[in-house]
Amino acid sequence: MVVAAHPEAVAAGLNTLKKGGNAVDAAIATAFALNAAEPFASGIGGGGFMIIYLAKEKKVTVVNFREKAPAEATPTMYLDKGKIQETWRKSHGLAVGVPGSLAGCAYALEKYGTMNLENVLESAIQIAERGIPVSEIFSEINKDEYEKILQNAGESSVYLADGLPYEPGDIYRNPELANTFRHLITHGWRDFYAGEIGGKIIEAVQRNGGIMKCEDLARYSPIEQAPLIGTYKDYTLYTIQPPGSGGLHIIQLLNIIAHWPVGKWGFNSIEYIHHLSEAFRFVFADKVRYLSDPDFIPVPIQYLLSKDYATQIANKIVPGHLQKSYPYGIFDKQLIDKENTSHLGVMDNLGNIVSLTQSINDFFGSGIVPDGKGFLLNNEMADFSPQPDSVNSPGPNKRPVSSMAPLILFKGERPFLVLGSPGGTRIFTSLTQIILNIIEFEMSLDEAIEAPRFFTYSSEGVGKSLFIESRIPTHILRSLEKIGHAINVRGAYDNYFGGAQGILIDRDKKILIGGADSRRDGVGAGY
Amino acid sequence: MICLMILISVAPLFSFAEKTTESLLRFEQPILITSAGQSADVQIGGVLAKRAGLIATLSKNATHQELADKKTLVLVIGVSMKGLGAAGLDLDQEKSRVRGLIEEAQRKRIPLLCFHLGGEARRGELSDQMIEACLPYAQMVIVVKSGNKDGLFTQICAQKNIPLLEVDRTADVQKSLGDIFPKN
Repeated sequence: MVVAAHPEAVAAGLNTLKKGGNAVDAAIATAFALNAAEPFASGIGGGGFMIIYLAKEKKVTVVNFREKAPAEATPTMYLDKGKIQETWRKSHGLAVGVPGSLAGCAYALEKYGTMNLENVLESAIQIAERGIPVSEIFSEINKDEYEKILQNAGESSVYLADGLPYEPGDIYRNPELANTFRHLITHGWRDFYAGEIGGKIIEAVQRNGGIMKCEDLARYSPIEQAPLIGTYKDYTLYTIQPPGSGGLHIIQLLNIIAHWPVGKWGFNSIEYIHHLSEAFRFVFADKVRYLSDPDFIPVPIQYLLSKDYATQIANKIVPGHLQKSYPYGIFDKQLIDKENTSHLGVMDNLGNIVSLTQSINDFFGSGIVPDGKGFLLNNEMADFSPQPDSVNSPGPNKRPVSSMAPLILFKGERPFLVLGSPGGTRIFTSLTQIILNIIEFEMSLDEAIEAPRFFTYSSEGVGKSLFIESRIPTHILRSLEKIGHAINVRGAYDNYFGGAQGILIDRDKKILIGGADSRRDGVGAGY
Repeated sequence: MICLMILISVAPLFSFAEKTTESLLRFEQPILITSAGQSADVQIGGVLAKRAGLIATLSKNATHQELADKKTLVLVIGVSMKGLGAAGLDLDQEKSRVRGLIEEAQRKRIPLLCFHLGGEARRGELSDQMIEACLPYAQMVIVVKSGNKDGLFTQICAQKNIPLLEVDRTADVQKSLGDIFPKN
């Protein structure tokens, strides 16, 4: 079973499984295929995290291939005369972090896969050369990011159709990416970090004002880590460590929510939305206060994940009233990012699982493309705080905090749900809602993913608007307004809230159920 | 070339029905192109004008002072919350800016050309508010067909006797611009 954000990518993963590849081989083939079929959300110019379950060993492990800051990065790098330069953070050479996707995938493939790079790149090359019909979502995103693409990639870029955004139904091809993949097969993946492709990356970054050097690329390596573990009722959740913050916050939220009779309150009831919204605001305050790259600044993970701490927060949240303030770090303002990122999940016939979230940060990343190479460089440096005294400020070789949260939920000793989502800071609030939809409201996976979502956060101690999909009934919105929530109604199926992909393992019926989000172009397929 | 004064006075005589560009009005250069809603579609408008060889200034946040030496105002309509956020504006501020531009254009008798280039994806409650606020003052409207599936543009243009030109694809706007802006 493979779930991902594009049908061609799912087919790539499935073909890999059919050819005898395991879940890791298929996940990496799917990830590369997404670079060809969904270029705006992820690719080898970005980074991410994957969580792997090895069925035979009953082992869960994490590969962290998050981007790193260049060695010359400083906490003040986004300030000019004391003023934050948003363009530098988003669409400038300074926005580009050292990419980790290729190194992370190669690491996992060599250690846990059974195939070679050529095998797992085959489908991606075919997709890039044959092309794909542009979807409504692709076209809409292409139009939204047109200015950045025009400015950095140029009118002749493959990311535009004769210099204009792609229309739905147009065919998007990327022969340059196909050539890059072929080059990697011939010269090895390290060429990306210390060869011709690496040289082109540095050239493009520096031409756009960046500080990344050849040594930064050559020094990059992914990290294999133990998973972060949490529990909710009879379930155990395995996810990623900081600087991936999403998994930690899901565990925090579930620890808080365990104090409440959410099943009795009912799905998206006034009580449910109110209490969860308040919990989101507390957790966002913690995100800003504590979350950083633990290799540089200690993150009090055990404290944040303790049931006692959750009890303290749950006790502060009261029915019918909003908090006056939420504890927060004195240094930082919560910055809310845009829609982005891509998630995929794979389970093979031996029970091995991969849950992988990857990103180039904003859609179409920084918009910077190494000459003739057909892939976009990330703008993941924007995930650092531009405030120099933040725990998440940029620094040499530091990894920015991410909201990504690929996860595997176990029921007893066995995997039950493989889940993840794009969506920036909405990732962990959306995944929490999906988990509760399944566990508390007994929805099917598809119902749980499609169900209307909401999101809110806090910044500098102040609760922000409650963003809510328009399918939630008006009388609920009015009641929430009476409590004091400022309501901001979004689209009915709004990709602002992410685009989750999941696999549910129904052991009673002996079936795997794939679920993909209609908020994006996702699908699931198995054989 | 039809002079500007005539252009304004004859505009109501045109029927609202979709027209061939041969029968449409003529506009003069230089042009000020700005957004009505801060979507990235304004950049598309700028590129199309450049490709059509027009003398145009693209200013996403144009103020009425920028109309000083211009002979046509082009509003590229489409609300983007991301775009508004990036510009540091809320919707009311953007409406107020656009209203100021339209009023100044009317005062200076500068004709208004409205574009909707984003198709169906660039519709919705907020974009529709902007469409309804701008279109009645236009001398001509150009819309990418998929953005007019529900006939909103047809309806407003019919009520106000504004010529409406529908094109299949965004790129087709370039030819239309060449037709309605005679070479200087």
